[in-house]
Amino acid sequence: MKCLETESLISYAYRLMDEPAASEVRVHLGECPRCRGIVEQYGRLDAVLGEWKTAEPTAAFDGRVRQAVEAQQAGRAARWGWGWSWARGLALASLGILMIAGGVWLAQGRRRVTNLSQVAVRQPRPTVSAQNPVPMAGLRSPGIKPHADVRPSEATAETQSASSSLNEDKDAQALEDYDLAANFELLSEIPKGERRVVN
Amino acid sequence: MAIETDLDLMLRVRDGDAASFEVLLRRYRLPLVGYFRRMVRDQGLAEDLAQEVFLRVYKSRERYQPDARFTTWLYRIATNLALNAIRDRRDEVSGSAGDDDEGGAILERFIDSQPTVEQQLVRRDRERLIRQAVEGLPENQRAAVILHKYQEVDYRQIAVILSVSESAVKSLLFRAYEALRLRLEPLLREGVI
Repeated sequence: MKCLETESLISYAYRLMDEPAASEVRVHLGECPRCRGIVEQYGRLDAVLGEWKTAEPTAAFDGRVRQAVEAQQAGRAARWGWGWSWARGLALASLGILMIAGGVWLAQGRRRVTNLSQVAVRQPRPTVSAQNPVPMAGLRSPGIKPHADVRPSEATAETQSASSSLNEDKDAQALEDYDLAANFELLSEIPKGERRVVN
Repeated sequence: MAIETDLDLMLRVRDGDAASFEVLLRRYRLPLVGYFRRMVRDQGLAEDLAQEVFLRVYKSRERYQPDARFTTWLYRIATNLALNAIRDRRDEVSGSAGDDDEGGAILERFIDSQPTVEQQLVRRDRERLIRQAVEGLPENQRAAVILHKYQEVDYRQIAVILSVSESAVKSLLFRAYEALRLRLEPLLREGVI
């Protein structure tokens, strides 16, 4: 009869094998005194190992665990509190930045409107008349020259005055666009026969 | 009244029930401290580590998923802590006289009758031999044997706890029990006292 592997005997002794395999070992042990002796030895080892006892926890143990848990809870609550205050601060700071940015934006918009209204005051909407059939005589519009009825010296002086005012303005391009747009309709109304170019 | 399962208790702890945590503490305080006591020997350190396990269980209660046995989870945390503690203490002097005295004092609490001084000495000596034999095992074998023999954890659970296959656990246990049988042969001849 062939003896079983030691691993099989240990597995049997320490319940590391499932029942079908354990049944086979049990049958073999009934017929093999050597293998039975080895299994008994592992059984004694199990009993000897059981002699190693350990102590109960000290009386203070439970209290220490409770204290640690409570400290953890308190720390967590503090972290939450700090988190909320931090979030509140961030929200307030964001709101402040938004308000400042909004104020700056509004101020810039108002200044732009003021500039445009100043230009409008400086350059009253021209009207077509016998003395000034070309309404754009005093305005700086590319390709348009003053009417012959207006004396060149007067027209030049007026134009220079308007140009110097405009040159002072930082937003000259925007104003040019404004002039063209504002006067395009009037220009288109000038009769062809009256349009004369002064050299 | 039916005994509440660990799973039920832990699910209640997850929902904020402090009383259920108390039940788990009372249920596992002795096994856990005993486990650490055997793994790291030092009683003070064993209690510190057991406390850390309970704290970690409490901290991670909201993430607890009942997809494994509570004890598997518990001993997994405990084993990681124990192995780390062993590695941290590896360079420290092993086998101090103080520990032996403490072990003997602890052992005396479990002696039923009034043993003679000689009997007490024999018991103390045998316990020291057993402890040294187990402590002489490699870390994984030691953890496997202590979990299997003293904590009565099934080898399938041990595989999960140690993050190894079931066959690897069996192999660890074969080697560990065989080594223990050889080291403790004198005690086996004498028989259990």
